[in-house]
Amino acid sequence: MARPREIGKAGWGWTLFSGLVSLVYFFPVLWIVLTAFKTRTDALAVPAKFFFTPTLQNFINVFYRSSITAGASQATEFPLYFFNSIFVSGTSVALAIVLGTLAAYAFSRYPLRGNDTYLFIILTTRMMPPIVVIIPIFLMFRLTGLSGTYWGIILLYTAFNIPFSIWLVKSFFDELNPEIEDAARMDGANERRVFFGVCLPQVLAGLAATFVFGLILTWNEFLFALLLTGVETRTVPVAMARTMGGEVGVDYGLLAAIVTLFLVPIFIVTYLLQNQLLRGVTFGTVKK
Amino acid sequence: MAAASPHERMGSPRDAGGFFAWLMAPERRGPLLVAPAVIVLFVMNIFPLLWSFGLSFFNYRANRQDVPGFVGLRFYERVLNDPDVWDRFQTTAIIVGSSVILQLIVGFLLALMFAREFPLRRILLMLVLAPMMLSFVSVGVFFKLYYEPTFGLLSQFVSTFTGQPYVLLGTPMGAIMGIVVADAWMWSPFVMLLVLAGLVSVPKYLYEAAEIDRASWWRRFRTITFPYIKSLLLLAVLFRTIETFKLFDIVYIITEGGPGTATETIAVFTYRVAFQFFRTSQSSALAYIILFVVIVLTNLYLYAVKRREQEVA
Amino acid sequence: MTIALQKLTKRFGALTAVDAIDLEIGDGEVLCLLGPSGCGKTTTLRMIAGLEWATSGDVLLAGKRVNDLAPRDRNVAMSFQFYALYPSLTVAENLAYPLYGEGLGAAQIRTKVEQVARVLQLGPIMERKPGELAEGEKQRVAVGRSIIREPNCFLFDEPLSRLDVQLREEMRGEIKEVLQGLRRATVIVTHDQLEALTMADRIAVMRAGVIEQVATPHDIFQKPENLFVAGFIGTPAMNLIPAELTGFAADNVASFAVEGGQSLTIEVDPAVARLAPGAKVTLGVRPRNLEVVHEDVPDGLSSVIDMIEPMGAETLAHLNDGRHDIRVVTDWRTPLVERDQVHVRFLPGSVHVFDADEKVVRA
Repeated sequence: MARPREIGKAGWGWTLFSGLVSLVYFFPVLWIVLTAFKTRTDALAVPAKFFFTPTLQNFINVFYRSSITAGASQATEFPLYFFNSIFVSGTSVALAIVLGTLAAYAFSRYPLRGNDTYLFIILTTRMMPPIVVIIPIFLMFRLTGLSGTYWGIILLYTAFNIPFSIWLVKSFFDELNPEIEDAARMDGANERRVFFGVCLPQVLAGLAATFVFGLILTWNEFLFALLLTGVETRTVPVAMARTMGGEVGVDYGLLAAIVTLFLVPIFIVTYLLQNQLLRGVTFGTVKK
Repeated sequence: MAAASPHERMGSPRDAGGFFAWLMAPERRGPLLVAPAVIVLFVMNIFPLLWSFGLSFFNYRANRQDVPGFVGLRFYERVLNDPDVWDRFQTTAIIVGSSVILQLIVGFLLALMFAREFPLRRILLMLVLAPMMLSFVSVGVFFKLYYEPTFGLLSQFVSTFTGQPYVLLGTPMGAIMGIVVADAWMWSPFVMLLVLAGLVSVPKYLYEAAEIDRASWWRRFRTITFPYIKSLLLLAVLFRTIETFKLFDIVYIITEGGPGTATETIAVFTYRVAFQFFRTSQSSALAYIILFVVIVLTNLYLYAVKRREQEVA
Repeated sequence: MTIALQKLTKRFGALTAVDAIDLEIGDGEVLCLLGPSGCGKTTTLRMIAGLEWATSGDVLLAGKRVNDLAPRDRNVAMSFQFYALYPSLTVAENLAYPLYGEGLGAAQIRTKVEQVARVLQLGPIMERKPGELAEGEKQRVAVGRSIIREPNCFLFDEPLSRLDVQLREEMRGEIKEVLQGLRRATVIVTHDQLEALTMADRIAVMRAGVIEQVATPHDIFQKPENLFVAGFIGTPAMNLIPAELTGFAADNVASFAVEGGQSLTIEVDPAVARLAPGAKVTLGVRPRNLEVVHEDVPDGLSSVIDMIEPMGAETLAHLNDGRHDIRVVTDWRTPLVERDQVHVRFLPGSVHVFDADEKVVRA
């Protein structure tokens, strides 16, 4: 007779079932990865090909485009777009975290009058659709000449990430035991030491998580990038969307290769930050 | 110099060790730390908002040079009386409604599946969470490929039964479904995460007690499980409603609002009005109406967050 | 209804939590599983309930093997350490919860709930949610919910561990009273010996997955079977002094050499005669069976008062001669001075002798 399981535990049977469901759910992503390794003909084959001879050509095409007439290959713009995406999101998220951490510490430890109202306004700026601010920002950038510059988009993304950083980092500060800070004060630490020596080290992991989530949100951003980057500062999502509008038909293999390249860091992040994921995607409003 | 002025007696900024010390006084520490972030937010968010608020009262087009004239509330009037606007709101509501409901159902079922401990759980969870971490653009691009009438997977699958190529995006209904499925696929893991958090927060001994007390499956769910997840479900609904309300990228890439204007969400519509028709002021007025909706929803959301925090405590 | 455990074993991976224990609990008997944390007592209880599955061995309820039955099919009632009250339900609904599985009508359920509420004086709090209850009230509701049905047996997991001292005393009496009214096999898991000594008909002392001794509260205290039980039961703990048997002055008077050169001649159990001189033993004597005297006596040891802890009516003195720490409880009026050189006398017949295998030597 099969023994009933302990509550909340399941065995390999459940693994099999969940594995099947997960695979079905994951299928669209899997298909992208498969497409990345297909030749152009295989990618658009009817009926769809599940088994094929894999090729790395698409990944090469991301960086080098072989010209049709001669055999010579020519560098594509994609390395630049990758650089832009990483540079712009990295810089702006780092900036946002520095500013956000200071503010989060203040909101957590030195509540102002109307603290909750400020926090609400700050969260609203994050919740509001980009379309609401994009119109005046577009005009503003045109006037100041920030349009198409790194400075412009970095500044904008910094602002875009600040509310998120404040809320998320504040949720980490709120969890610290204030007794430790009081103990440090009793031992003669001044406020700067309390912040840098006591509080900050305790939330380092949280800051890292905030950085990573900010990075993902930012390099995935499309609308601002579409309107406010130029040829030189274009980011990957915009470049991908533009590839869609190509005249020779869409090169899905190339797009798939790009998505696949981005998939690797995403998996690492999802695996490492599984416990912080919920907090990350709700801007720190739901901790557990 | 008979007596120090009252101001000096109170201690002018300079007495206490200079401006820096004055600035660093304990009572100013909070505002001081908040200031840099707020300044950036003000410059990049609040100020543009105020500007566009101003614009919405003038007759201004970004592609023209003429001096804008003051028109008062005319654009708000026009926007609110525009049947197109109401139509787009309706489209948005349909997409938001169906997508959020679908996300709830799928997310909930996925959460039930992952609420137990089983071998390889962490790995499988990663597979399911992956869509949420993709960019809207990648999701859009690939769902467009899947929906493609000739070599798209969906069409190929359907045509094995019908023999006909299947054009999902050809009909308004199909296009909306296409958008909803793509969005719900991407964000069901979000709902799953929230529900899962609720499910794992149920103390195991309650289930044990229910087992000893011979509670039926349904009673156990109703009296133990559901109370632990209901506040999180509400949070999930509100959060996803706010987010889906902004839906732009996926629509822009998969259907560009078509066929006709069948899938033109309010965000896409505003984008068109602003950057294709260059009716800057009208789009600003429209943006303000959207902002109002989002503020209301965000308020509700934070209220729900507070309530849950009290529940958990 | 009886409970019987036969060679019951539970392994978690490499760890053996419960190691082939045998135990019988008679109809209407209250048995306490007593032991330090991690000794396997809760695991044993959970195996009886069916919440854990035995790795090997059998659980018998009313003579029927129930190993393969789910908890719901074993008809047991259990009260949990953290009460496990359903937070979204009122007290009345919590009490009624086990009755829905019985297929009773609404009127019957109401009568039963009222009856239990009367016994446990829950009347004023019937409409409250668990979150609004004090610890003691939660405990009452948990007990109420477990006694509302008519199960084969009752299981209590650390029922009083979350209450403060005063409430604990009160509830101890109350639970005992309720249990006497029920007359069913009952197992109570506790790490608090006072709880076990006062509530149980018999106590099973567990250590590291093994039952060290099963006996009535009186016997557990007076006749510990081995060193562990001797040291575990009783506060302050029994003094355990390593010694060597040197000879016999009479049939039941033996001499021992205590480490450090002191010797001791005391009345012992006749069975000690079995041991050969030179045998390594441990002498156990309870702090209340020692007497502080100022003259050298043959049936005592000399030592120095190290620390004095007043305990109200009594005084606990820690003596230390540099080798052994000896605890003595005296009447509070006994004059004691720290750093004084004194002697402690063993009261006749109070010493327990344990052999090299840590087993008591007793007839």
